[in-house]
Amino acid sequence: MLEVRELDAFHGHAQALWGVDLAVGDAEVVSVIGPNGAGKSTLVCAVAGLLRTVRGRILVDGHDLTTVAAHRVCERGVAIVPEGRRVFGHLTVHENLLLGAHRRGARSGHRATLAEVHELFPRLAERATQPARNLSGGEQQMLAIGRALMARPRMLLLDEPSLGLAPVVLDEVFAAVRAIHAGGVSVLLVEQDIERALAVSGRAYLLAEGRVVTAGPVDQLRDDPQVRRSVLGQ
Amino acid sequence: MSAVQAALTGALLGGLYAMMAVGLSVSWGMLRVINLAHFGMILLGSYLSFALATSWQVDPLLTLLVTVPLLAALGAALHWVYERTGLVEFTSLLVSFGVMIIMIQLVHNIWSADFRRLAPELNRYGSGSWFVGELAFPLPTLVAFGAGVVLIGGGWLLLRTTFLGRALRAFAEDRDMAAAYGIDHRRLGMLLAGASGATAAVAGTLWALGNTLVPDAPFEWIGIVFAVVILGGIGQVLGTLAAGVLVGALTSVASVLWESTTSLLVVFLVIIIALLLRPAGLFVRGAAR
Repeated sequence: MLEVRELDAFHGHAQALWGVDLAVGDAEVVSVIGPNGAGKSTLVCAVAGLLRTVRGRILVDGHDLTTVAAHRVCERGVAIVPEGRRVFGHLTVHENLLLGAHRRGARSGHRATLAEVHELFPRLAERATQPARNLSGGEQQMLAIGRALMARPRMLLLDEPSLGLAPVVLDEVFAAVRAIHAGGVSVLLVEQDIERALAVSGRAYLLAEGRVVTAGPVDQLRDDPQVRRSVLGQ
Repeated sequence: MSAVQAALTGALLGGLYAMMAVGLSVSWGMLRVINLAHFGMILLGSYLSFALATSWQVDPLLTLLVTVPLLAALGAALHWVYERTGLVEFTSLLVSFGVMIIMIQLVHNIWSADFRRLAPELNRYGSGSWFVGELAFPLPTLVAFGAGVVLIGGGWLLLRTTFLGRALRAFAEDRDMAAAYGIDHRRLGMLLAGASGATAAVAGTLWALGNTLVPDAPFEWIGIVFAVVILGGIGQVLGTLAAGVLVGALTSVASVLWESTTSLLVVFLVIIIALLLRPAGLFVRGAAR
């Protein structure tokens, strides 16, 4: 589904990623873990087309999207739930969701998708007419995920969905990730909450200082001394 | 003239100010360009309407069929240039001021500095009034007001209810996220700039219906139209309409109660007070834009 090869990424003159190789298979959940500043968000932005100062290859279904603008990446079925959620605060909850279905492939079936999203997050149906800026952090996270689902993605990029959320809400968010996976969507999950991330993933990559340190099935990574050292501080 | 009549006449005229302001407000709020060339385009629109109606001997409103697409194309072309040169809000102010001066000079060169006015036999809307009791509704401003309400109201509905409108509002708030959801900011920007140019054409024609044309008119418009944009809230379509009506009524009442020279003073006092109390615009709910 997604293949990243030897990716270098830059913020201005500062290099944030060095030769990152990563792959996500069809209907697979893959986590990217690592400490702050490891380049996790940079990776997500590069895949979504929001960062174009990159070298290397980003392939989605074999299509090279390395230099393709974000709105065309979206057309390929890649949807992002960005760090900090970034819902459209002045639009209502309902409008945010409809906006998710803006891409051509999602527009015609948007009513059915909306019903699915409401089933996954009933709270969004209750708050449909509220401006998104009035929602709590947890509700905004649900909205950000719902907006992404409205795009009928084949590849979902989740950037730090647990950030600043209460544990109760987290359960709901990660349950949603499971449900989305069960629906056949590939997920690339960037997360600092490693226990939760590994619990929903099949494989994971450990990123540190812009490089892949180690990668493998989650059972293997849980006991990896590098993971423990780098992220758990042990 | 009584203060009530003055308020009414002014409020109607305010519809025209709003029509002039709405394109400026939208391109400021959504494209982040303070496009002073918009005034140049209104001027071009007014002269083109005059010239075409005169040479073809047709109803001036029919000239919109030509001026609207023409100025829409010009607006989009200007936006393309602004994008290419990577302007930000402040530099756009300088560059578009230059473009405005060029347009004014162009009008000077083509039509000279002589006063121009649509011939009364062509212009059915040029004079006369409708009366309701004692109150007079001057026809040219009534037409302008009606067009302003219909077009601005229509624009508002479009922004609220269509996929395109939602895309525009999302784009105004967070370009990157809008792009990540499939919104092509280049295309949308051109579309918006084109629509803004179209409003300039309409405003120009409406101006020509009731006013004598002079090439320096933009300098007369800038103060009052900026007042409308700021009071209405930058990028706020309905706010612009309301602010136009308010500013129109205020200037008109002030010039009746005191002297005509006080009207701008009153307007800018109101702006200063409004900016202190409601910096995001008079009709914007909450603190954010």
